[in-house]
Amino acid sequence: MSELTATIIDIQRLSTEDGPGLRTTVFLKGCSLACTWCHNPESISFERQVQWLESNRCIGCGLCIEACPADALSMTENGIQINREVCGGCATCVAVCPTAAMELKGEVWERDALIAELVKDVSYIGKDGGVTFSGGEALMQSEFVTCALKRLQEMGIGTAVDTAGLVPAHALLGALPYTDVLLYDLKIFDREKHIEYTGAPNDLILKNIIAAADYAREHGTPEIWIRTPIIPGATDSDDNINHIGKFIAAYLDDAISRWELCAFNNLCLNKYERLGEEWDFAGISLVHAEEMEHLLDVAKDSGANPDKILWTGSTFVEK
Amino acid sequence: MSELKERIKQPQNLSPRIKWLRDWYFEGAKRDWANEYLSFSTGTDWDVLTDETFVYTMYSLMPSIDTTDIATKLAAYPIAIPEDFFTWNLVERRAWFVKECMIKYVPKEILPGDLLAGGRFQLRVSKCLTKEENDEREAFLHGPEGLRQKMYEYHERGFGNCGPTPGHLIPGYEKIVKYGFKHQYEYIEGLYEALTEEEKAGDKGAQLRAMMTAATMPRELAEEYSRVCADLADKAKTESRRAELLQMAQNLKRVPWEGATTFWEAVMSLWMTHFLVLSDENYPGPGDSFGRLDQYLYPYWKKSVDEGMDPEFGKEILKTLWIHCNTVYDAMIRIGNQGITAGYGQLFTFSGMGKDGKDVSNDLTFALFDVIEDMTPMLEPKPSVRLHRNTPEAVMNRVIELISSSQGAPFLINFDERSMAGLLRQAKMTGVQDLINKDNVYDYASVGCLENTMVGNDRSETVNCNLNLIKSLEFALNDGADMVDYYKVDGSIYPKISDGIKTGDPRKFKTFDEFFAAFEVQMRNDVRRMVGMYNQCDIHRTRYTPTPYLSILVKGCAESATDITRGGAELKFVTIEGVTFATTVDSLLAIKYLVYDEKICTMDELITAIADDWEGHELLQARAKNRAPKYGRDDDEADALARRVMDVWSDECWKHKSIASGEQFRGGMLSWNYWITYAPICFATPDGRKRGQFLSNAICPSNGADINGPTANANSVGKALGGKTDGEGDFEGYINYLPNGSSHTMTFSPSMLRDDDHKAKFKAFLQGYIENGGTALQINVLDVDTLIEAQETPEDYKNLLVRVTGYNAYFTSVGKELQNEIIAREMQNKY
Repeated sequence: MSELTATIIDIQRLSTEDGPGLRTTVFLKGCSLACTWCHNPESISFERQVQWLESNRCIGCGLCIEACPADALSMTENGIQINREVCGGCATCVAVCPTAAMELKGEVWERDALIAELVKDVSYIGKDGGVTFSGGEALMQSEFVTCALKRLQEMGIGTAVDTAGLVPAHALLGALPYTDVLLYDLKIFDREKHIEYTGAPNDLILKNIIAAADYAREHGTPEIWIRTPIIPGATDSDDNINHIGKFIAAYLDDAISRWELCAFNNLCLNKYERLGEEWDFAGISLVHAEEMEHLLDVAKDSGANPDKILWTGSTFVEK
Repeated sequence: MSELKERIKQPQNLSPRIKWLRDWYFEGAKRDWANEYLSFSTGTDWDVLTDETFVYTMYSLMPSIDTTDIATKLAAYPIAIPEDFFTWNLVERRAWFVKECMIKYVPKEILPGDLLAGGRFQLRVSKCLTKEENDEREAFLHGPEGLRQKMYEYHERGFGNCGPTPGHLIPGYEKIVKYGFKHQYEYIEGLYEALTEEEKAGDKGAQLRAMMTAATMPRELAEEYSRVCADLADKAKTESRRAELLQMAQNLKRVPWEGATTFWEAVMSLWMTHFLVLSDENYPGPGDSFGRLDQYLYPYWKKSVDEGMDPEFGKEILKTLWIHCNTVYDAMIRIGNQGITAGYGQLFTFSGMGKDGKDVSNDLTFALFDVIEDMTPMLEPKPSVRLHRNTPEAVMNRVIELISSSQGAPFLINFDERSMAGLLRQAKMTGVQDLINKDNVYDYASVGCLENTMVGNDRSETVNCNLNLIKSLEFALNDGADMVDYYKVDGSIYPKISDGIKTGDPRKFKTFDEFFAAFEVQMRNDVRRMVGMYNQCDIHRTRYTPTPYLSILVKGCAESATDITRGGAELKFVTIEGVTFATTVDSLLAIKYLVYDEKICTMDELITAIADDWEGHELLQARAKNRAPKYGRDDDEADALARRVMDVWSDECWKHKSIASGEQFRGGMLSWNYWITYAPICFATPDGRKRGQFLSNAICPSNGADINGPTANANSVGKALGGKTDGEGDFEGYINYLPNGSSHTMTFSPSMLRDDDHKAKFKAFLQGYIENGGTALQINVLDVDTLIEAQETPEDYKNLLVRVTGYNAYFTSVGKELQNEIIAREMQNKY
C-alpha cells in the first residue's frame, strides 16, 4: 500500500447508488470488518483472488488447469474448482483463459493510470456527481485514496468516500479535506452484537464519526450521509435502530444531511459460490416494504431529525 | 401475460372522439374503411403502374416484383385520357394523370368526428409511358444485362443493395402553410413567362407547365372536400359537430391554396400538402418528414390561442393529424399487422437550438410533448426531440418523464452540436457553404429514421445505397475473390468470383498496416462499385419517374426548371450507408490482436478457421470473441481504429457524384435492418462471429461488446464519429464525419429511472451524451420480455446493468434464480 498504487476490485462507471448524481465508483480491495452478510465478499481479503465465472462463459478447454503453477485447479461437475489453500493468486489462469471465465479480483493500479480512467466520464458526472472510493474499506488504503481525492478535487471533480469507519482516526481525518461527501455506515449499536456480526467492536467507528462530524461543523464540509443496512436478524431490531437514532440525535444530527436505511438484498449469493464460500444469509428473503416503513417510523421517533431519514432498496414482492 | 400487458404504456387523456378514432384505427383490416392503394391506368396494354426499383433495397420483396406488377395492373381502373396525351412531355402527362385521379376518382370522405379532411390518398397509378418509352425501360431493367439481375447478384454475393428510394426529405411545407400554393403557382408562372419560346417548347417549359398543373391539384381537391364538409354539416346530428364541419368547409376554402390564418387552417394545409407528396410519389410514406413542427406552426398556435382557442382543442387537432399519419400504413393493409412491414418514419422535429445557440422551445413544443404522451404507443408521426447544451430544464425534465413512463423514449433524441458539425463539414467538403453555414444550419431537421438534412431545398436521399463493409474484408482476406459459397434466389450456388482488387495473399503480409492497406484498397473499390450500381438506378429514375408536385415544394426545381428526380433541388446528396461497421472494426481488431500483436495464430490458421465457419477452431474463436479488443469500450486504441475506418470510408464517398442527376455521394452509417438481412449472407468474421449470427447495427458496438457500460459505449461512438478537438472543429470543437448522423441505440433497465432521484441522474447521462456521444440516440428501457430474452441468450446482453441499492451486477452474470427474481420484480416495477 502506498500513495502510488492501490489494489482494486472493480471500477464501476455510471454508478447511481454511491452518492449524489452520477458517479464512477472505485472498489478497493480489503476490509477491516468481516460482516457476515457482506454483499461484496470478494472485497474482504487484501490478497489477490481468482474466481471462476459460471458455465455460460467457460468452454471447458482446461487450459487454466494445465497452466496453474500451484496445481490449484480441477474440473468437476460444477465446473472449475479452485483449491484456495494452495492458490496464490498469481492469475496465470486468468491470462490463458480464452473466454475470460477466470477473473482476477485485485488488480494493482498506478495512481496516474487510475486518474486517467476516472476522468473519462467527467462529462456525465457534471456538477452533481463525481468519483466515489468504496470497497472493501477504502480508507485501509488511505494514502493512495487521499492523494487521488486531492487530485480529483483539483480537477474540479466531486469526491466521495464510502467507509465503515474502522480505520485509524488520522486515515479518516486526513481524507476529509478532499472529500465532498462522506458516506458512513453505522450498522449495529450494541458493542457485543457488533463483534458477533462484523468481527470487531464499534468503539472506534463511533469515535471516528463524532470526529468527522466535528470536522464538518468546523469546515462546512464534507456533507455526511449515515447509512444503516437493514439485515434480517442482525441489524433490523427496533432496539438497534432506536439506539443508532439516539446516537445520531446526540452527536451528529446538525452535521449530517441524511440517514438512509438500506434494505437487505440477496443478489450476491453467487458471488459467494464463485469464491467457494458459504453465506450465512443464503436462505434469507428480501425485507417486506411494511417492515422498512415500520423501521423508518422507529428511526423517526428516536429523536434524530425525521426530515433527514429515508429508506432505499428493493423489497420483497409476492410472485 | 396479462401482468405484462398492464405494464405497457397506455394512451391517456383521450377525448371520446380521439379514443374512438384511435381504437377504430387499431381494428386494422377489420375496419370497413381503409386508405388502401387505389390503382388507375391509362388503359394501354403496355401500361405499367409500379416502379420495381423502389424495392431494390429490400431483397425479400424482389421475388414478388412481377406478381405485384401484374396484380396492380389487373386491379387498376382505366380512366379516359385526352386524345393527344402521348404527344405530351412525360412530366406533363404524369402531372395531369395524378391530378385527374385525385380530383375525379379518389373518394372524398371525412372520418367520423374528424377535424382534418383527406382520408384516402394512397395511389399506384400509371407511369404514363409511351410504348416506346416502356420498351426501352423494359430492356434497361429486364434485358440479359438488365438492372434487376445485376441487383440480385449484388445482394446475393453480399455487396449490399441500392435503389432510388422516394421520400426521405423535408419538403418546403412552411412556405405553403404561410403563403399557400397560389404564391408558388404565380412564382412558377413568372419563371415560365421568362423562358424563351424555344425553352417553352422544350423540357423546361414542359416541367414548369407540369408544376403549374400540379399546383392547382390541392386547390381543386380542397374545393371538393369543402363541399363534402358542407354537405355533412347539413346532416350533422349535433349542433357542435355541425359547427365543426362548417368551420372545416370554411378552412378548406382558404387552404392550402392561400396562406393559413389560424392554427386549424395551418394543420389542414400541412396535412393536405403532405399527403399529396405521397400520392405524387406513389410511395406509401417512408421518410417524408415534417421538419420543425413547433417552429413553423407556432405563430398560428399563438395567434389562435390569443384569439380564444382552447389549447386542448389545438391538441385535439394535432391528435387527428396523428391518426391520419398512421393511415399511411393502410396502403398494404391486407398484408396484416396494420400493413406494417417496417417503420415508415414520417418524422417531425421539435425543440432545439436557434440562432446564436439559444433554445427555441415554446408553448407548442410542450403541447407536442403532451400529444406524444397522450397518444403513445402509436407509430406515426415519429417525433425527434433536439437537445443541446442550452436545452432548458423544463424540456429536459419532460424528455426524462416520457422516457421513464413509456418503456423507453417514444421519440428519437437528436443532438444538435454533433449533428450541426456534420452538416457544416458536408458544406465544406462539397463547396456549398452558401447553402449550409453557421447562420442557417440550426434550422436542420431529421427525416426517416434519424437522418439529418436541410429543409425545403435538400433532396437528401438518405437510404438509397447500403454497402456491406464486411465484403471488403472478405476480399482483403482472399486476394479479391469470394471466399465462401453464395446462394442465388433459386438455391443454386454462385461460382467463386474474383472481381475484387488483387491485393495479394494476406499470408505474406508482415504487418497489420499491410493488411489494413489491402482492406482500404478493397473498400475504396467497393464504394466505386456501389457508385456504378447506383448510377444505373439514377438513370432509371431520371428517365421514367418525374414527380412534378413534389418539385413545387423543393427549392431549386422551379428555378432550374428541372424535376426533383432529375437533380433539380438546390442541395442534392445521396448517402452510402455503411452496414456492419462495428463487426468490421472488431474483425480488424481481432486480426491485429491474434495474428500480429499476440501472435496467437498465423494468418493461414485464421483464414482456415473462418472458411470452416469456426467449426473445429473453438479455442481460437473464443479468443477472438473474448480476448481481442473491441470497439465500444472507450478503449482509445480500439476506437482509433474505428476512426481510421471511418476516415477512409468518408473520404472515398465524398469523391463521387451520380451521373444522371448529379447527386453528391456521402458516407453514412444507418444500416436499417440489414444487420439482420446480411447475417446469413456474411461469411464467418474474424471477431468470432459465425455465419448467420447478427451483425452490428449502424454505429452501435457489436452486441454484448460494450462491457464497460453506457458511458464507455457513448464515448466510443463519439470518438468514431470524429470526437472533439481543442480547435474549432466543424462546430464548436465537435467533429462529425457523417452529415446524416448515425443511429445509436442503448438499452437501460427501468431501475435506472425508478424515482425522481434516478431520473435526475439519467438527465446527467443525457447531458454527458450531448458532450461526448453521437448525433442521435434511441433509448430502450427494458421490458420483462427482453429480460427473459437476455436470460436465454446471455451472450447478447452482457452489457445489461441491474442496479439495486448497494449492489451492481450485470444481469447475465447473476445466477438464473436471481434473474427470475429480478424479472418478477421488474414485472411490478418495484425497485
